[in-house]
Amino acid sequence: MSLTPQLLVVKDLSTTFDTPAGPLAAVGGVSFDLNQNETMGIVGESGSGKTVLARTVMGLQPRSKVTVSGSVLLNGFEVVGASDVEKQKIWGLQVAMIFQDPMTSLNPVMRIGRQIDEILRVRLGMDRHAAKARAIELLELVGIPSPAERYHVFPGQLSGGMRQRVVIATALAGSPQLLLADEPTTGLDVTIQAQILNLLDEIKERMKMSVILVTHDLGVVATRTSRLIVMYAGRIVEMGSTRDVFVNHRMPYTRALLDGSPKVSNPSHTRLLAIPGRPPNLLKLPPGCSFAPRCSFATDRCHKERPELQPANTPGHTFACWNPLPTNRGASA
Amino acid sequence: MSDTRQPLLRVRDLTVNFGSHRHPLSAVAGVSFDIYEGETLGLVGESGCGKSTTGKALMRIVEPSSGSIELEGVEITTQKGKALRNLRTRMQMIFQDPISSLNPRRRAKDIVAEPLDCWKSVEGDERTALVNDLLSKVGIDPIVYGNRYARQFSGGQCQRISIARSLAMRPKLLICDEMVSALDVSIQAQILNLLEDLKAEYGLTLLFIAHDLAVVKNVSDRVAVMYLGKMCEIGPPDTLYDAPEHPYTQFLLGAALEADPDSPLHGEVLVGEPPSPMNPPSGCRFRTRCPFATDKCAAEEPLLVEMAPGHTVACHYPLSLSRT
Amino acid sequence: MSNSYFVNELVEEATTQTTPERKKRLGVLFWICVGWLALNVLGAIFANVLPLQDPLYQNYSIINAGPSLHHLFGTDDLGRDIFSRIVFGSRVSIEVSLGSLLIGFGIGAPLGMLAAYRRGKFDSLLTTVMYMFLAFPAIIATIAVLSFWTPRSLLKIIIVVGIASIPLVYRVIRTATMNIATKDYVIAAKVQGATDWRILGRELLPNVAPIGVSFLLIGIATVITLEGSLAFLGLSVNPPTPSWGNMINESRTILQQNPWLAIFPSLALCLFLLCLNFIGDRLRSHFEVTEGKL
Repeated sequence: MSLTPQLLVVKDLSTTFDTPAGPLAAVGGVSFDLNQNETMGIVGESGSGKTVLARTVMGLQPRSKVTVSGSVLLNGFEVVGASDVEKQKIWGLQVAMIFQDPMTSLNPVMRIGRQIDEILRVRLGMDRHAAKARAIELLELVGIPSPAERYHVFPGQLSGGMRQRVVIATALAGSPQLLLADEPTTGLDVTIQAQILNLLDEIKERMKMSVILVTHDLGVVATRTSRLIVMYAGRIVEMGSTRDVFVNHRMPYTRALLDGSPKVSNPSHTRLLAIPGRPPNLLKLPPGCSFAPRCSFATDRCHKERPELQPANTPGHTFACWNPLPTNRGASA
Repeated sequence: MSDTRQPLLRVRDLTVNFGSHRHPLSAVAGVSFDIYEGETLGLVGESGCGKSTTGKALMRIVEPSSGSIELEGVEITTQKGKALRNLRTRMQMIFQDPISSLNPRRRAKDIVAEPLDCWKSVEGDERTALVNDLLSKVGIDPIVYGNRYARQFSGGQCQRISIARSLAMRPKLLICDEMVSALDVSIQAQILNLLEDLKAEYGLTLLFIAHDLAVVKNVSDRVAVMYLGKMCEIGPPDTLYDAPEHPYTQFLLGAALEADPDSPLHGEVLVGEPPSPMNPPSGCRFRTRCPFATDKCAAEEPLLVEMAPGHTVACHYPLSLSRT
Repeated sequence: MSNSYFVNELVEEATTQTTPERKKRLGVLFWICVGWLALNVLGAIFANVLPLQDPLYQNYSIINAGPSLHHLFGTDDLGRDIFSRIVFGSRVSIEVSLGSLLIGFGIGAPLGMLAAYRRGKFDSLLTTVMYMFLAFPAIIATIAVLSFWTPRSLLKIIIVVGIASIPLVYRVIRTATMNIATKDYVIAAKVQGATDWRILGRELLPNVAPIGVSFLLIGIATVITLEGSLAFLGLSVNPPTPSWGNMINESRTILQQNPWLAIFPSLALCLFLLCLNFIGDRLRSHFEVTEGKL
């Protein structure tokens, strides 16, 4: 064991769904690690495999029709291949997940306090009074006003932002070391989104957790993560410190993501860098680089041979590209 | 500068109420603005602020409760039957959900031809040629994809077909209601660029409704900010984004997440959530969340006041006054 | 967990991208069912021309006989051939079900679509009336009317059952239409300047029709059962005309001596209903448009 043990080590993880139309590689050969008390971002568009990756790390898969290979080592516990009974021991206590739609993770016919209570009583063996007191404490922690009264309301009586706070409270009930947040603020208004993201930051510091923030929105991860993974068609195409990925990115797809989204700081009617086409069909991935069909730099090699992740100049910064963008581009883009 | 021109669309005191008489919900509570020919007016606000309802009221998809809407000088709120149907050739709308905007059981070319068939404006070869032209304009190959059913297209492609359909009758005004918010970043960029190109080519005037401040700024010549059914501020994007007059605009901008690791970590975050439109606050509707609110804000509703040419704000304490 | 939903979404995402649309298959069982129904219907239509024995001919020399080469399904207590009575009996079942559903759908479906599309006072008034009818137990109402409206005839049964089915059809079609009428493409059509009739015909009907068809099949099954129940109570067509229900009813008294008389018509009825339900179910899932999610 090293001095600063890594909380999460993912090695060559692949998740393949067996569909009527053939095997669908939602996640293909992904490796990364996560330190204690670190916030990492996973960005990608729909179908990039970011959500499947998060679910696989969590150990959530449908029972059949899916093959998972590789390894997910969470605090020494191998998630891949573990039975549900074994995974029950880490779910909630070591790793918890919050989803995009808070309504799907809350039981609509159960008072919110009871939903937190239940975790505390069943998983932590608290008695009723202690659980209720802790639940109210948690509701207060996530910034729900007058938590003792809100303890008794149903999820439907809360606004979207408040519901997501309750979901966060349920996730925190078992004091997990890793929180997987899958698009936690998508669908919320900007002012509410800022509140929730600030809350996540605050809680991460207070509870000494690590957070993986899965999102399609580069704005969400820009200032709140230390490291960033960019995914495309089930693979990591670029990974590094958030600054490196934003400023010194080498992969043309990363640039397309960055320059394709309008910015508040740009003047009106700025032409956006739009890459043609759309993400590839995961059932029929091209043999070479998955991004090659949309890439203006693509050469023959890109179409034939898949690039592996290779180190960039800065330590920890890797990218998968045969024709990377130059390192010092200054005011290009 | 804009005052000398005749507005293409003139909206005055538009209100839309939903619900029963006993429990009215004022979704839009007296909104006034102009849209000039050839410009893009961006309309931003959070969910429930009434921006989409405003767009739908202009299209008469929801009925305005009071107020006036003039298109090219003609009052349209009172129009009925044939006159109302005729309006559909001059104003068109694109919806948020690209997939639900197209009938899954119809073919792309039939969807685009629908307005032509409704009006029987062109027929036969001319119709086919026009449909093919429209589809090519939006980047859908009519030969390869024309016969495909709507359900076989992705979201981005559906939105392209929607655009082609809305342009078939060559409307003057196009209302875009959150048209890119359901799309992925790379597809969103394609659609926004396409919209700019088509706007120039067809000489369109746009009302671009969206919640994303960056997207709105990108396409707009003027931006209007709404909160809880009221207009807060209207102005040119550069001044409005750099020096907002309304505290709400400032908070909205502060909360917007810029995809830049060096962007300053958000200053003040707006506390609380918008009050219910069933029971809006008296006076200024933003006062319950506004840090600068005083008794005057509760007692008196602020009117839109011109701070600089083309820049109006509805606030008793505009920020430029406190800045100096 | 919503895992399976999620996988579906992914698969959809991938399959919507495949260029030619993948043909969904209905399966062998579906076609076997269709074949069985077709056989029954053809038998009913051509019963007169087929080499069948007279269903009314009473041969007292062999009563209550078991299945034999000469009488495939045996004979009943009056020596009539059960096989030919079942074939002829299917006529009543099919006529009653098709006839009454023609009335039910002819009136209920257009009203349901119109109410769901127009909404407002027209809808609330009509729906209230329909729900008042639905509040009556349809079977009891049908029995009551048929008991007093004598002499009984096939046409009267069709009319009574048909009217009783209107509110049911109305409710299903109205709900289905309402789900579709709120979709953006219906609003879009209106915004393009399409007339109400055009919207009803082009946008709503094609999307409501599959639901209507599957409900029609289930409706046929229900009406056939209803006819059976009426016959069982002696309220269907008058003997000696055979119907499946009549036959089962008659078998009641002599179940001990001749179980075949109960078994074969019940089997015919059962198989017919099973096939209808299966086909209806399959068609519904087949025509369901899977909308890609983004």
